[in-house]
Amino acid sequence: MYAWLYRHLPGSPRLRLTLATVAVLAVVALLMFVVFPAVETVLPNGRVTLGD
Amino acid sequence: MTGGIPGPGRPPDPGVDAPTLLVGNPSSIGEPAPGGGRRRLLAGRLARGLGELLITAGIVVALFLTYQLWVTDLFAARTQDRLHHQLDQAWQRPPAPPAPRAPAGQQARPAPPPPVDLGDGLAILRVPRFGRDYSPVVVEGVAAADLRRGPGHIPGTAMPGQLGNFVVSGHRTTYGKPFSRLDELKVGDPLVVEVRDRYYTYRVTGSEVVTPNRVDVTYPVPKRPGVVPTKDLITLTTCHPKFSASHRLIVYGELVDTTAKSAGVPPALRGE
Repeated sequence: MYAWLYRHLPGSPRLRLTLATVAVLAVVALLMFVVFPAVETVLPNGRVTLGD
Repeated sequence: MTGGIPGPGRPPDPGVDAPTLLVGNPSSIGEPAPGGGRRRLLAGRLARGLGELLITAGIVVALFLTYQLWVTDLFAARTQDRLHHQLDQAWQRPPAPPAPRAPAGQQARPAPPPPVDLGDGLAILRVPRFGRDYSPVVVEGVAAADLRRGPGHIPGTAMPGQLGNFVVSGHRTTYGKPFSRLDELKVGDPLVVEVRDRYYTYRVTGSEVVTPNRVDVTYPVPKRPGVVPTKDLITLTTCHPKFSASHRLIVYGELVDTTAKSAGVPPALRGE
């Protein structure tokens, strides 16, 4: 999967490596800023108030 | 030599370069080498793809743990810095015009503070037992977004210095974990709430662990529905045990001292 993705990146090895790094960082940012904040609301450790 | 791996003396596996020959070709049954090689290649690819997926899933879980245990603390620290700054600025500006005058008998009591928008800071909590640097800004509201910013005041409960119960909920494990050490508080420990012009010093009167449905601990007089309050109380709530939603840890306190800022810091914050 990753080998396939890497093979389909354009340009020189240097450019490919840069693109791959940027893609990884983008995915991590998406997880940290969008996915995880949405997911954590179903976790129990955020429930600190009283109520049903 | 019946396996699909080409030996050193064999011709190259035709299956790799000529896949169309194998599709629907019954003769391949009698010839295990090309078909088996193809299948093995496919199985290898599948196994590899599955392995990559599993490794990816593992990395995502590790990232999520990092996020929960570390990144949320960074977010909260940034937000708290901003809230401290905003509160400093707001407190330096002259106060909003006073609310309508309280009835004659209550003149000694300060006018109730103006309402605060959800998510905005309203006070600074200081707990000497948690150290000198412990000073989270309490924000208005206890929605998930408010609690990410800091401990939240439950709207509708008393404001600090108002008759009744000032109820504050806070995270115990993430987002700066302001209430992580709530279980260490002992009876008599001071809890100082700093507002624009004064410090309210409360003393811890007790604590208990309750089930999450016990809304009555937030009543003006905790656990006494309908009773008119005669004291200024504080109640802190957080989850218990850590990382669990099964119970809540509740700490109760009672106002013992009000110090105007012009008179310096209250005794509870001195002597450290």
